[in-house]
Amino acid sequence: MTTFFQACLDGLLIGALYALIGMGLALIFGVMRIVNFAHGAFLMLGMYATFLLFDRFNINPYYGFVPAGILLFVFGYVVYKLLIQPIRERSEFMQILMTIGIDLILIDLAQLTFGADYHQANIDLVNRTLHAGRFTINAASLLSFGIAAAFIIGLQMFVMHSRPGQASRATTQNRDVAPLMGINVVRIQGLSFALGIAFAGIAGGLLLPALYLFPSVGEDYTLKAFVIVVLGGMGSIEGAAIGGLVLGVAESITSTYIGNQWALAIDFVLFLLVLSLKPSGIFGRQRA
Amino acid sequence: MSGWKFWVLLAAGCAVSCLPLLSSNNYLLQVFFRIALFAALGLAWNLVGGYAGQLSLGHAAFFGMGAYGLAIFAAHHVPMWISLFLAVLISTLVGGVIGKIVFRLRGPYFALATIAFAEVLRLGAANLDITGGAIGLSTPSLFTGESFWKLFYLSAVILAVLSFLTNYWTSRSRFGYYLMAIREDEDTASAVGIDTANYKLRSLILSAFLTSLAGAFYGSAFQFIVPDSVLTIDISVQMAIIAMLGGAGTLLGPVVGAILLTGASEIFKNHFGERHLLIYGGLIVVVVLFLPEGIMGGVQQLLRHGRRPPANPLAMKAEAQGVVRQ
Amino acid sequence: MRSRILAALAVLCCATFCAGQNTIKIGIITSLTGSQAAFGEAHKNGYAIALDQINAKGGVLGKKLELDFYDDQSKPDQAVQGVSKLVDEDHVPVLIGPYSSENAKAIINPVIQHRVPLLIPTATADNVMDSKSPWIFRICAGANDYAKKTIEFLQHNGSPKTMAIVYEKTNFGQANMQAMKEAATKAGIKLVAIEQYEAKTPDYRAVLRRVKAANPDVIYFCSYLLDATTLMRQSREVDLNPRYYTSSGTGFAAAEFPTSKGAGKDAEYTFSVSQWLADAPWPGSKEFDAEYAKRFGSHPAYHAMQAYESLLVVADAINSAKSLAPAKIRDAIRATNLKTSAFGPVKFDATGQNQHTVLITQVQGGKYHLVYPPDVADSKPIIPAPKWSERK
Repeated sequence: MTTFFQACLDGLLIGALYALIGMGLALIFGVMRIVNFAHGAFLMLGMYATFLLFDRFNINPYYGFVPAGILLFVFGYVVYKLLIQPIRERSEFMQILMTIGIDLILIDLAQLTFGADYHQANIDLVNRTLHAGRFTINAASLLSFGIAAAFIIGLQMFVMHSRPGQASRATTQNRDVAPLMGINVVRIQGLSFALGIAFAGIAGGLLLPALYLFPSVGEDYTLKAFVIVVLGGMGSIEGAAIGGLVLGVAESITSTYIGNQWALAIDFVLFLLVLSLKPSGIFGRQRA
Repeated sequence: MSGWKFWVLLAAGCAVSCLPLLSSNNYLLQVFFRIALFAALGLAWNLVGGYAGQLSLGHAAFFGMGAYGLAIFAAHHVPMWISLFLAVLISTLVGGVIGKIVFRLRGPYFALATIAFAEVLRLGAANLDITGGAIGLSTPSLFTGESFWKLFYLSAVILAVLSFLTNYWTSRSRFGYYLMAIREDEDTASAVGIDTANYKLRSLILSAFLTSLAGAFYGSAFQFIVPDSVLTIDISVQMAIIAMLGGAGTLLGPVVGAILLTGASEIFKNHFGERHLLIYGGLIVVVVLFLPEGIMGGVQQLLRHGRRPPANPLAMKAEAQGVVRQ
Repeated sequence: MRSRILAALAVLCCATFCAGQNTIKIGIITSLTGSQAAFGEAHKNGYAIALDQINAKGGVLGKKLELDFYDDQSKPDQAVQGVSKLVDEDHVPVLIGPYSSENAKAIINPVIQHRVPLLIPTATADNVMDSKSPWIFRICAGANDYAKKTIEFLQHNGSPKTMAIVYEKTNFGQANMQAMKEAATKAGIKLVAIEQYEAKTPDYRAVLRRVKAANPDVIYFCSYLLDATTLMRQSREVDLNPRYYTSSGTGFAAAEFPTSKGAGKDAEYTFSVSQWLADAPWPGSKEFDAEYAKRFGSHPAYHAMQAYESLLVVADAINSAKSLAPAKIRDAIRATNLKTSAFGPVKFDATGQNQHTVLITQVQGGKYHLVYPPDVADSKPIIPAPKWSERK
């Protein structure tokens, strides 16, 4: 039983980061109906930004993720203005194609700028282990979890209660009626896109101490983000948060009882099960 | 495009396609093999993605099953051509099963579900013993000897022509009009009595058949396969890009897309070294920004200069047949 | 329309590839982009140093040597295409590459069909040498050599009874696992756990806990690059205490691994097989390390050295063949007999495999120390690895 709870615990810790990644994607999808294939590439940029701050200026990644997130917010907004806004009325196909193009460009640019080498940010905290009874928790993972949780709740509050957040929800619900209500849809979409990208960047920064960094590190996370978003119900932000946690725990349990090599497969199996049994997502309500 | 014009074009295309056979440069033949094969793949994808308007990003599943099927049967001492037949048969049947499941979904859900199927197969192939795991499998060579690449190139051209004719037939048959009606408005199509699930499924089965055939030839030509070479999402994405960039739902689009993207990426690689993906990505972005209907869409608009540019000529045709009520 | 594009393509190809005559080209296939680009870069750097040395000494056959790179994008089929491009189009007489075992395996048949010699610098999976073709050579030691040397070392140092293998899901990992499985079984060591894992994920705790439950004397890790850091860090976290941490190189033999940029203190006491070390007792080793560090700002792992030495061997072979005929170069490579080089003695056996000495190192005090075989060792192995709770 200890093994089981330990597996759940490990899963929840990483799941919070998955949740952050998924929420960013859900935000973008909800407001714009764009499936962002470049999501992992933005996560990678967030990692590089955090890493450079650590490497050049010796800024701890647990502070560095903040400027990285802000940087990604600005960058996301620029990308929206230059590349996404001009095609916002185009077919879903073309929008997906655009994000694939952006993905290729970002990964290759990263390799040309930073080289193909692997990097790692080693901080003391990663080497600290906390003991709670028979359970062990990595201190850095716990801190990442805490920060991620704060951002998850923060985003949820922002979306529910702030004026731009409400406008973004209105846009999610109905893109045609929202402008009639005096909502500037283009502005809201730009803001949501940038915010979604910033979340990917923050997740990248928080992932950095546990993982290592190379230009195509984000690829797996793009697919993971898709899975998370579908689990939680497309476009639902709180759904994505729960989807991320579920995915983390599912992977960890698979890894403990079946074998680590099947952990990625469980993502997709879960995904197909949910899609075929309840396409609105485990926690999705009927699209309101 | 109708009547004699089409056949003249096809004959000219076939004649031109035979030109590389005069060369004995294996590298050029290999590049042209890839172009012809991806033209076939783009056209196969076009049936589902272009005519039926269902954005599949999981065609690598069929491609990989074709290649793996051939390798596995041949490894168990099944004669080569029978292995090929069995591999394609199984992939097509699996295509039907997958279709049954994924076609209950729409839009982005559908696209993501197709990715998931392909990924499950990739991870399965990477973990199971029968597929050789990450080490991979040797694939039998369907052709041998001096003219190895010529024969493979010729097969790819034949496959491309076959896919082209399938597309041509689709674009003019009742089957095709139904698909286009589904693309334009699935609910309306269903309301006027089209069995949408059935027609989408048929287009996928046809597409899976052609794709797995291409996959088997690809695996055989390169003689060795690993999950990351034939079941990767890169293959799925590339098929979709070729068709969409060339012009989804047009006859010539996927062909143009394959020549441009597959040919160009090889040239980019030889010229720009490590920057080639950057340029490839840039090309995609530019086309999406400036040619909303793909390259062929742009060309057609140019040809119709002065007249009202139609959103999509095929859609107009479907409309003219009275299938679609706007 | 199609004809015009084809024609343009053909012209472009030709215009690009028809090269000058005052140089001799050697074809290099490696992974400059894609998931293995980091190693491709190491290759490229190693080749660059060798190239400058060769040309500074007057090149080969009185002409300057030139490298003709083909990027396989870390994909096997692209590597196959590279063989055709380099041989049919650019007419190179000899090939070096590629980086990974997957890609090497994929190009064996095409290379044999093209009848040019291929020197493989880094692919350790032994199936790349299965063909026994006279055209295929390999300069690095293979997975079987790794396993055998590790077992030999263990039997010399306390003869442990049980072992667990933890390997990553790639051709490299799988090949090393199989080699060790055979070698250990033959030596009478009981395998109590064999665990596979997905590389590049941040959490291996579950895998390590399963290993811990099996309580082996020895763990043999087969993993790439920075996974090694994560594995050791999390081994401490789950308090996994075998008597020996052993490994099949790569991640556990990377220059950063024992430093603060890698696993740091957690790397202490781990054993690894190694193909090469800057401290190896071979002339030119330290100079290569220094030159590499000067040029590229970091210390090389053995992949760069293998690329470097491969190019030197090929250049030598061309010089002694006095010809650019592939068959002559092949025979000259086969006849290579370097008593010493920066990569140790180089001599190919009948199957084309270089009889390379596999070294065993242990991290002691933040540095790799050579502990086996005895004739080159500079330190004594520390056994058993202290329990995590007893480490400072």
